[in-house]
Amino acid sequence: MEMLRIWMSVFTLAMLILAGPAQAIDGTQLLKQIDRNLNPESYEMYRKLINVEPNGRKMEYTFFSVKKGLDKLAGVFLAPASEKGRSTLRLGENMWLYIPNVGKPIRITSLQSVIGGVFNNADILSLDYAAEYNVEKVEEPGNEYLLYLKAKTKTVAYDRIKLWADKNRKLPTKIECLTEASMLIKTLYFKEVKDFGGGIVRPSVIETDSPLYKGYKSIMIFAKIKQKDFKDEVFTLTFMPNIDSLR
Amino acid sequence: MNKIFTFYIAWLILFASSFAFAEEYKFDLSEIEKKPYHIGGYLELRPILFGLDKDASLYKLKFFNRDEGKTIEEYNGKLQLEGSLEKGIARLFVRTNSDLKYSYLGWDHKTSIYEGYLSLKPSSSLSFKFGKQTLLWGKGYAFNPVAFVSRPKDPDDPELALEGYITASADYIKSFNGPLKTFSITPVIFPVYEHINGDFGKINRLNFAAKLYFLFYDTDIDFMALTGGSRTNRVGMDFSKNITTNLEIHGEFGFINNQKSKIIDSQGRISEAKFDARSYLLGIRYLTKLDTTYILEYYRNGTGFSRVEMEDYFSFINKGYDTFLSTGENNLLNKAASVTQGNYGRSNPMKDYLYLRISQKEPFTILYFTPAITSIMNLNDKSLSISPELLYTGITNLELRLKATALVGQNGSEYGEKPNDYRLELRVRYYF
Repeated sequence: MEMLRIWMSVFTLAMLILAGPAQAIDGTQLLKQIDRNLNPESYEMYRKLINVEPNGRKMEYTFFSVKKGLDKLAGVFLAPASEKGRSTLRLGENMWLYIPNVGKPIRITSLQSVIGGVFNNADILSLDYAAEYNVEKVEEPGNEYLLYLKAKTKTVAYDRIKLWADKNRKLPTKIECLTEASMLIKTLYFKEVKDFGGGIVRPSVIETDSPLYKGYKSIMIFAKIKQKDFKDEVFTLTFMPNIDSLR
Repeated sequence: MNKIFTFYIAWLILFASSFAFAEEYKFDLSEIEKKPYHIGGYLELRPILFGLDKDASLYKLKFFNRDEGKTIEEYNGKLQLEGSLEKGIARLFVRTNSDLKYSYLGWDHKTSIYEGYLSLKPSSSLSFKFGKQTLLWGKGYAFNPVAFVSRPKDPDDPELALEGYITASADYIKSFNGPLKTFSITPVIFPVYEHINGDFGKINRLNFAAKLYFLFYDTDIDFMALTGGSRTNRVGMDFSKNITTNLEIHGEFGFINNQKSKIIDSQGRISEAKFDARSYLLGIRYLTKLDTTYILEYYRNGTGFSRVEMEDYFSFINKGYDTFLSTGENNLLNKAASVTQGNYGRSNPMKDYLYLRISQKEPFTILYFTPAITSIMNLNDKSLSISPELLYTGITNLELRLKATALVGQNGSEYGEKPNDYRLELRVRYYF
């Protein structure tokens, strides 16, 4: 009996030692997985951005965007008429805006907003989270992961991010964007998981509110997300007036 | 009965909430269906009130034989239409501009084709354009000393579309990995004949221009040149770079060989000067944490007049006006007018300017509302224009802008001698 107890203790200890490393979560790997579940590395997609004011009044924008690799992103507004043809380009932390009337691209900053409301350029032209953030720690409250992210460089729009992700689907459910002093800038709620085809199953709606814009909210609806590869030349200043031709 | 009522209410709430939900997140895919053609544009109404400065030289030149009172009104209407048609690698694009104006001179209207070209895009790295197009070169916001192949933009409204020229151009783009990320070349053939681009310069010349672009160490760098005889040879370069996420710097340098300038002295003697002109611009764009954007540019206009030359011009106008008052003869004023157009009368005719624009995005969380203040200062004579404005874009496709401009300067200064002291302008623009 004594022998059995010893064997049981040794077995339990061995199991704990073996199970220990298996349960430790690799935060970076998890974040990369979340990124891939959200979008293919190279894709095209359509989005509708809706700003909702406290009185219920809405402004809607339709945006087509393409992405290649870790840091190349380009997009063009399709509606409303006042914004049609405005295109944006992001290469890493470089961002440009092309306004058809002005006729030449101008450099813009990630914190600026090409449209009014809660979304800024970094939200509209967002890269992979793993490309811009390091994972500081991962917690597991209930059925979710909670990832604490810290910007890799000072040039990233939000210094800190708290990302809640569904454990089974490894998809974000909520993201809080914070300043360096942990002041909340905005909260993104990921809703309506949808099958877009081609193995892309992800939230089709992101709702955003911000303590800086009390009572206002912004909604981003996704459509026609497709894995697609583009030539590097598409992501250049010279190509900016032609982004619509990729559709 | 109660159960039925409760069920009915519950169903109604469920239905209403699902309807609200569906309404809120509606994205009709027909909205993103691509059509081979597109028609759009905007309609604009722009009434302006000018407060006249009867002592100013340019008032005397313009209104010497009429009295319009202390203020004049002007009513402007504009229709800008654009359409495109795409098939395969080809795209046809046309933008027309129609201006209708009612002023103290009566009705005036003008319609012109701003752009109208055929573009061919055999691949994402190669494209061609044939026809009338606007090729705006340079990184400056208000001024572009290297915009060799476009019409000068209005620093008071730098985002207005400009009329193009008839050219044939190509774009070749190549991307790389490493510090040099992008290279592109834009060669341009620019014919100038009596009925083709006749207002550009000397006619019966075939001009060539080119621009090279590099994205090198995250810096945009362009080199450009124009040759061919319609205008004297010129070369230039520009750059733009983000120093931090909220600070961008940019600059331009242009060299014009054998620039000609018509100068009038205070006695009305006209002489022509020939010199090599060096123009440059240095600017920053800075965004604060409170969403205030500052655009600051210093512009050195190498083709500009000195303070003495400008004072001589104003003196001669005053002399011509005095002669008109005493004799009724306007020959001297006509002579002054002949050196005004495109010369003394162009935007920013002097040498050193400072441009500052401060705009505040959505203050007090008023969405789509942007107040701004813009000032252009002539550093040579210390005169300036200062323009506060309010912009509201909160109604889909409607843009409302109220802008006032005050011109401040002493006698003999650029802004002090403008025909008006102030102007007040409302711009209502509807896009469709």
